[in-house]
Amino acid sequence: MCVALQLASEHGGRVIGAAPTNGVPAARAHALVKVYGRGQASVRALDGVDVEFERGRFTAVMGPSGSGKSTLMHCLAGLDAPTEGSAFVGDHELSQLDDQALTRLRRDQIGFVFQAFNLIPTLSAAENITLPIDLAGGRLDRGWFDQLTESLGIADRLSHRPSELSGGQQQRVACARALISHPELVFADEPTGNLDSTASAGLLGFLRAAVADHGQSIVMVTHDPSTAAYADRVVFLADGRLVDELSAPTAEAVLERMKQLAS
Amino acid sequence: MRRVVVRGMFARKLRLTLTALAIVLGVTFVTGTLVLTDTLNKTFDSIVGTAYAHVSFEIRGATTLKGVGATSPDSTATRGTIPASILGSVRRLPGVAFAYGSVSGYAQFIARNGSSIGNGRALGYSFDPNPQLSSLRLVEGRAPTTANAVVMDRSTADKYRFKAGDHVRVLLPGAPQTFTITGIVTFGNDNSLAGATLAGFYLPTAQRLFDSAGRYDAIYVLAAPGSDDVALQRAITRVLPPGIQVVSGQAIQSDLKQTIQNALSFLSDALLVFAFIALFVGAFTIANTFSITIGQRTRELALLRLVGASRRQVFGSVLGEAALTGLIAAAVGLGLGVLAALGLRALLGAFGIVLPSSSLVFEARTPIVALAVGVGVTVLAAVFPARRAVRIPPVAALGDRTGEAAASTGRRLITGMALTLVGIVLVAAGVAKPAIAYVGIGALALFLATAILSPVIAAPLAGSLGRPLARLLGTAGRLGRQNSMRNPRRTAQTAGALTIGLALVSAVAVLGASLSATAKQEVDSAVNADYVISGSGGGGISHTLPAIIARLPFVTATTAVYGGQFDFEDSLSHLGAVSTTGLDRTVNLHITHGSAAPALAAGELLIDSTTAADKHLHVGSVVGVTFARTGSTTIRIGGIYKPNPLAGSYIVGASYFLAHFDHPLVGAVLFSVRDRAPGVAAVLDRAKATYPNLQIQTRAQFQASQQNSVNQLLGLIYVLLALAVIVALIGIVNTLLLSVFERTREIGLLRAVGMRRRQVRTMIRSEAVIVATFGALVGIVVGGALGVALSSALRTSGITTISVPVTSLIAFLVVAALLGLGAATWPARRAAGLDVLGAIATE
Repeated sequence: MCVALQLASEHGGRVIGAAPTNGVPAARAHALVKVYGRGQASVRALDGVDVEFERGRFTAVMGPSGSGKSTLMHCLAGLDAPTEGSAFVGDHELSQLDDQALTRLRRDQIGFVFQAFNLIPTLSAAENITLPIDLAGGRLDRGWFDQLTESLGIADRLSHRPSELSGGQQQRVACARALISHPELVFADEPTGNLDSTASAGLLGFLRAAVADHGQSIVMVTHDPSTAAYADRVVFLADGRLVDELSAPTAEAVLERMKQLAS
Repeated sequence: MRRVVVRGMFARKLRLTLTALAIVLGVTFVTGTLVLTDTLNKTFDSIVGTAYAHVSFEIRGATTLKGVGATSPDSTATRGTIPASILGSVRRLPGVAFAYGSVSGYAQFIARNGSSIGNGRALGYSFDPNPQLSSLRLVEGRAPTTANAVVMDRSTADKYRFKAGDHVRVLLPGAPQTFTITGIVTFGNDNSLAGATLAGFYLPTAQRLFDSAGRYDAIYVLAAPGSDDVALQRAITRVLPPGIQVVSGQAIQSDLKQTIQNALSFLSDALLVFAFIALFVGAFTIANTFSITIGQRTRELALLRLVGASRRQVFGSVLGEAALTGLIAAAVGLGLGVLAALGLRALLGAFGIVLPSSSLVFEARTPIVALAVGVGVTVLAAVFPARRAVRIPPVAALGDRTGEAAASTGRRLITGMALTLVGIVLVAAGVAKPAIAYVGIGALALFLATAILSPVIAAPLAGSLGRPLARLLGTAGRLGRQNSMRNPRRTAQTAGALTIGLALVSAVAVLGASLSATAKQEVDSAVNADYVISGSGGGGISHTLPAIIARLPFVTATTAVYGGQFDFEDSLSHLGAVSTTGLDRTVNLHITHGSAAPALAAGELLIDSTTAADKHLHVGSVVGVTFARTGSTTIRIGGIYKPNPLAGSYIVGASYFLAHFDHPLVGAVLFSVRDRAPGVAAVLDRAKATYPNLQIQTRAQFQASQQNSVNQLLGLIYVLLALAVIVALIGIVNTLLLSVFERTREIGLLRAVGMRRRQVRTMIRSEAVIVATFGALVGIVVGGALGVALSSALRTSGITTISVPVTSLIAFLVVAALLGLGAATWPARRAAGLDVLGAIATE
């Protein structure tokens, strides 16, 4: 945690608003409702979700498909507007922000890793990693860049295009991009969905280490119990509601909960 | 972001190259036009500079006509001549170093093989042997000093192998004569005067030949070194009688240059119109390409937004790509434009517009305009696609591809219909009035309406156009048909460029056919004569000719036709004149009030009914007219005739005309012969041998040549519009390539389940043919209708018969379909060549 704060104060100069304090969670949802469609055809994807994601922790969001976990993430990342309730990233209530502020928030305070098509095909790995900094017109922290690419094991692949990288390598490039601007929070949506078990383990291990070593806050959406086991805490969603949660989970414990929920 | 743009462009270089091609062609045309006109301007400027290099002052008849500038160059037609006695008093003035009185007129050399040289551009003049003042340099032999001596320009001498001492026959306002060449001249350092032939005579000879005994057309004055120009001009003015003026050489130069520039700007404007049509069509192609690529890049753009690109950055990236594409295309077009200038000159030459040749002039303005136009058009065309790119939500990067929201068909239909209605009302109003401007604005509204409505009709129309193909070509044809129907907006946009091109071609075709039919009908209704003689290429007809023709035994009636300018009620107008004896046997004026021959013989004026109605005139009205030579007078209106462009709006008798104009040339001679008179052809052949510049045509031949000149102009316009059609075809190639790329997986699947390569090609080709036919059909219908409206609105300006060239329009449709087939060649080959496994694996 200390290291994280240190890093944040050194490198996090582009955050908007007041510097986050320890007491404020990285993100939270309050009575979040999301309805798609109208009338008969309407679907309540989120049905009053209250949840907090603590700073410096690795939280997994689990649930069967259709449980609303992706919708929850979209609303928390400002990619989708909730029908009712409010979503916060740090101090910022997302519904109060216009498109420009949301864009800046995503650029400076949120990192994304998701299942597929994570990278711009025409840019090299290095250029993909520095893209958020380039878009902001900021200066690259060379030390942090080297540290990230070293620890991800992609330092020798930086000049390659995404098409010349394996799936695991592509996903690690995406991780580096997500972390390069010292975001408040990283959202990962099924990050290992397309990877074999070895690559999955490597990637999740890295995310785990980012939390442990740098105090990074991560929210990961997954439906795989063994993936969820890498998290500090698992929250369970079903039918658009938060139904349960688990601290310091193991794959077995998560699987057990899932079975209970399904029954 | 700049990096994303540049890298993206490299990744999409093929489609961008095709897109850029549309701009390259347009910019090439713009550059070519500018370079050509700049070159011509420079050429003519240097000619004027050479001609007036040593002239301090020019003394000449002042024009009394309105609408002719004080220093207008059109001296023979609109100015009187000067009595020779003035020269002596000018020469005696202190400060005058040298003064020379000159006359000029029509003199055309005949080559050794009997043909006339330099049709329409043959200049005769009195040769001034004093090199101080003259712009002509004697480079060989000596000056003409006898009645049968002539000097020839070096260009003619070289080309037709004449040298000093040779005899040469020369066509003149009077009878042709043989002269001895005493010398060869150059115009300044040039071998000829912008391609015109020069025949220089001894001054007294020239005065006799050009009907100016004791008179000059102009006196050129060289001031003595150190003399005060202002004082000298004042001194000269004092010795001039009224009606004669003195103008400084500087003033004449700048006025002449201005006049030439105005004339050339008409040419460049006309050519630029076609360049901008091509660019407009190109803009369609660009907009289409960009919207397709943006559709294909939805996830990439969404990902950029997700990792923090602002809307402005995405917008800027699309426009940046467009600007860079436009810049590269414009640079290429700029280079090609220099070649195009040469091509344009050759093209205009092939259609009878001969321009002097000299080295090309590249003004600083040219690259600026070319780059601005290239970049501007590309960026503007990309604005709408860029706005769509901005609307892509970041979340589109995460989930499935979100289909683009289809604009509501209902609103499109209503807007389109409303605009169609506005267009039709405007066009109808324009036709009824008639006012060409309303038709033009209406046409624009209809074009827009077509663009808006065509996505609505694209699917059903493409479907019905494709049905026969589907039946003929089986599954492949059926798939091609369905592909053409599945994205109506894309089909409509792709076809849209071709629609515009063909609409213009069709409108021009209808207009041309109507003009041609009108020309035929004019001759039918106005000309009774069996034969029409005209000077080829605007060359003169000797004034001795009518009398010679009249004396031929088989000729029953001869009419000489003259033309000149005069002021009618204070506005400069064209006056025609005809000899009156036997007029009804050569010309039919369709007199509605008054009489023809008797009125003309009595020195009265005939006007057409449109003019009569406009100016509230009737038979018996007395109107004021002014002639350059004889000044103001009044004339009684003796008759009113039905409008006929061949006859013009004002006609007088030949004797009245000759009394008011100095040495006019005969414009045409019409004559009739006794039925089945023997030996007509032989006699006419002999006349042709004496006057090789003459065109002696039967009534039918004359009719055909009138129509021919319309068709020639039409041909030129077709060639210029072809550029727009080519750009449209590039658009089709591009869209098909993009579609093939987009459907890689689908095509792989089709191949995997057993479609042969040939069938893949057939499928792509059918789609192309359907799209091209769709675009052409809409264009031909809209353009044809506009052509009819336009022709109808021009009925008071001379189009009296409207003709729709159905065969041509059908031919356009067939050609468009074939061109579509051709456009599919490359995309079809690409699709057929796809590797099956690789294609299926594509995401």
